[in-house]
Amino acid sequence: MSSTLLQQIAFYVLAAVAVASALGVVLFRNAVYCMLSLIVNLLSLALFFLTLNAIFVATIQVLIYAGAVMVLFLFVVTMLSPETGAPEEGRDRLRWQWAAGIGLGVILAGGLIIAFLSGAISSDAKAAGLDGLAQQASAHGNTEAFGLALFHGFAFPFEVTSVLLVIAVLGAVVLGRRMLGRE
Amino acid sequence: MPLNAYLIVSALLFTIGATGVLVRRNPLVMFMSIELMLNAVNLSFMAFARELNSVDGWMFVFLVLTVAAAEVVVGLAIIVSIFRTRRTVNVDELNTLKG
Repeated sequence: MSSTLLQQIAFYVLAAVAVASALGVVLFRNAVYCMLSLIVNLLSLALFFLTLNAIFVATIQVLIYAGAVMVLFLFVVTMLSPETGAPEEGRDRLRWQWAAGIGLGVILAGGLIIAFLSGAISSDAKAAGLDGLAQQASAHGNTEAFGLALFHGFAFPFEVTSVLLVIAVLGAVVLGRRMLGRE
Repeated sequence: MPLNAYLIVSALLFTIGATGVLVRRNPLVMFMSIELMLNAVNLSFMAFARELNSVDGWMFVFLVLTVAAAEVVVGLAIIVSIFRTRRTVNVDELNTLKG
């Protein structure tokens, strides 16, 4: 009983941190503050994954997303900081875009929340059956279930992922080389 | 916690990300907002994975993570390249596809 209460408290605290840091990403003027706010957001999502019993995914969220990807981001943000550090709003061409964007955002949030609360989505979810791998996850552990699922059901998408990563690396190299050649 | 609670948090995060793409004019911050949207979807994938008692949602989160990493690498390379040639990163001033 007390553990469910603890879970509820953890959920609400995490939800508040996640939404506040997400608002920080959009509202901070300085891109470095946006970046740090995004890291807080990613870490709170990793904690959400922990509350959903996905230990391995929470780990890779911290290692890859909050670690590697965000370091890359921070490199570029600080590299371009003379431009991005300054307030950008002075030379906005479309003054009405804040009002329009926030209006559309409220409509989107309202639509999504009404869709969720009307129960159409969660009743669809309830209709599906059990998965054998989930039982393995409870029997053998989290990471083993992840690996089994990845290399049995999802082996082909996993291989395609490696092709995608090679293409991304080649693309970055080509863009970087052209950039150096021009100077 | 019930599934709907996670889905509502996910919807809020997604909306904030989408609004960020609409209102900010700094391409780096727009990229961060795209990351926010990807992560909101990840959260709903994880919530559904627990609700359906299936690990397929974890696989999708893993793939989304990979796609996001690839997208960040190429996108940041493009932004740096634009900055080197135009000396600006305000998307309002980038109105041609020529370098």
